[in-house]
Amino acid sequence: MGVFDHILLGFQVTFQPANLLFCAIGVLVGTLVGVLPGIGPVGAMALLLPATFKGTPTSSIIMLAGVFYGAQYGGSTTSILVNIPGEASSVITCLDGYQMARQGRAGPALGIAAWGSFIAGTISVIGLMLIASSLSKAALSFGPPEYFALMCTGLIIVTYLAQQSVLKALMMALVGIIIGNAGMDIVTGLPRFTFGIDELTDGVGIIPLVIGLFGIGEVFDNLDQELENRQIFQTRIKNLWPSLKDWGESKWAILRGTIIGFFLGILPGGSVVLCSFVSYAVEKKVSRNPQKFGKGAIAGVAGPESANNAAAQGCMIPLFSLGIPTNVMMAMLFSALIIHGIQPGPLFIRDNPDIFWGLIASLYLGNVLLLILNLPLIGIWIQVLKVPYRILFPLILLFCLIGAYTTNNSSIDLLVMLLFGTAGYLMKKFVYEGAPLVLAFVLGPMLEQALRQSLLMSQGSFMIFISRPISGTALGIALVLLLSTIFPYMKKRRQKYEEFKE
Amino acid sequence: MGSSLFWLVFSVSVLIESLRLGIGKPRNPGTGFIAFGASGLLGILSLVLFLKTTLKKEEGPRESIFAGRVWKRVLFALIALVIYANAMPIAGYLISTFLLMSFLFWIVRGQKWWWVLASSFLTTLISYCVFSKWLNCQFPEGFFGL
Repeated sequence: MGVFDHILLGFQVTFQPANLLFCAIGVLVGTLVGVLPGIGPVGAMALLLPATFKGTPTSSIIMLAGVFYGAQYGGSTTSILVNIPGEASSVITCLDGYQMARQGRAGPALGIAAWGSFIAGTISVIGLMLIASSLSKAALSFGPPEYFALMCTGLIIVTYLAQQSVLKALMMALVGIIIGNAGMDIVTGLPRFTFGIDELTDGVGIIPLVIGLFGIGEVFDNLDQELENRQIFQTRIKNLWPSLKDWGESKWAILRGTIIGFFLGILPGGSVVLCSFVSYAVEKKVSRNPQKFGKGAIAGVAGPESANNAAAQGCMIPLFSLGIPTNVMMAMLFSALIIHGIQPGPLFIRDNPDIFWGLIASLYLGNVLLLILNLPLIGIWIQVLKVPYRILFPLILLFCLIGAYTTNNSSIDLLVMLLFGTAGYLMKKFVYEGAPLVLAFVLGPMLEQALRQSLLMSQGSFMIFISRPISGTALGIALVLLLSTIFPYMKKRRQKYEEFKE
Repeated sequence: MGSSLFWLVFSVSVLIESLRLGIGKPRNPGTGFIAFGASGLLGILSLVLFLKTTLKKEEGPRESIFAGRVWKRVLFALIALVIYANAMPIAGYLISTFLLMSFLFWIVRGQKWWWVLASSFLTTLISYCVFSKWLNCQFPEGFFGL
């Protein structure tokens, strides 16, 4: 079957009524959580995961992917209208988007964000289609040492790109590996870290863990602040279709944002947040009027918004071709596939063409749906933004409770969720990031398996990781990255010591 | 500084447990092999963080992370949720959810009692109809069969 036949197959799968419905629900929920503060796409994906158990794997993946990229669209609405980013990836949109709204240009700002996202999403789908299948063929020659090295490097890059302290992010990754280790040992069958609780023999569930960290933790963090009603910028939103002048100023920004987002998204840890920041920096650098940035430059909205949508699709490449999730959202998709008994990896595309090509087609369809949703429904999203948090938070908590409970119908899951919710709240207070923990939690069992198999292959010699070219190179990159974070700190301390001595 | 000490204690506990489980040998890794390595590294990094924050503290005092925060509200909400998690299998979904929702709607600001009760009743009923009746989720019935 050629690429064209595969695309046709994909559209056949996507246009099945059930899949079409799941795609629409996914992008709608995604846009909603992107608009609403207090619950992000990770929490929403965890909440929806139990609802997908009765559906087919294809429908589930289509819906969860829809939540992910729908949230990127929705986040821009709050950034532009309220100056509060609904998602971290839309933080940078606040700078120029909100200024545009203040100048009475909320319409073109929202319009270009939606159109930029649509164009970036469409181009990225083509990139995803071309690269993922080629990479998965190459990945067939990878053995356990290569997988171990790639997973380690992915985790190191995620911690290296942490928004806060790299040291703390590294600690969180190790905690994630330890938590992922809980449950029955697949080799010996012995229980580990279960504290005698039968429900923990299968390990800590990803759903209570993620809902706790990203749902309950976020609600608690908002709850300890004075809950004031948000001030929505009161203006009539008109001219959602950008003018020719707007298009002229944005077209190259959209293209550059797409390329930056897509390729940074493929890299392990290349988060959608990072892509939007890089795109903004590039746009400011190449602009003839950099002084306009921060004061309502439309390119400052178009570039980052395109980049974060392109990255949302670029980061699916390592998941579907190597079977390695590179960020926390992909970890959720990975878990969904595993729950449905499907192993992502080099054979995934060959063995499950309906799921892969169905997803690809749904991404395209999802982008069209988002364009249809985002522009005419902006009025509704604004009304949603006006719902006071004192009404919103009990509802979010109830959804979290139902989501965690219905996974196994066990109150232990509720307690696990509350434990991680408290941990998530305290982690926010002490500035620890949750993403490295979740990613390491998901990768932990695979990491252990690859390490054990590699050591069995080499009869206990760790040299197997260095002597093989791919694993050696990957670990070399990881080491360089780690050292690059240590040396500047050492240099700074040394300078301080010299100053003190003088 | 407190958080680094917490992680240090956590890593030592995991280290002891992984030794009990057996770490095996590189030729044949045991059940506690990965946890041993991860907790060992975590312990070292916790010490580094402890030293880093101690050195920083010498540069000047820092404000408490809970300063100006309504942390008591979080504590009350957490207690209510823990009670809910334990009580739901006994009292049933409808009764326990109604009580929890009433508490959560009331906790933020002095709402009128009839508004709190009406909102809690509606939320409980709608969530029950959607999840239990429509999506066929299994909720505990409790002693009243509700």
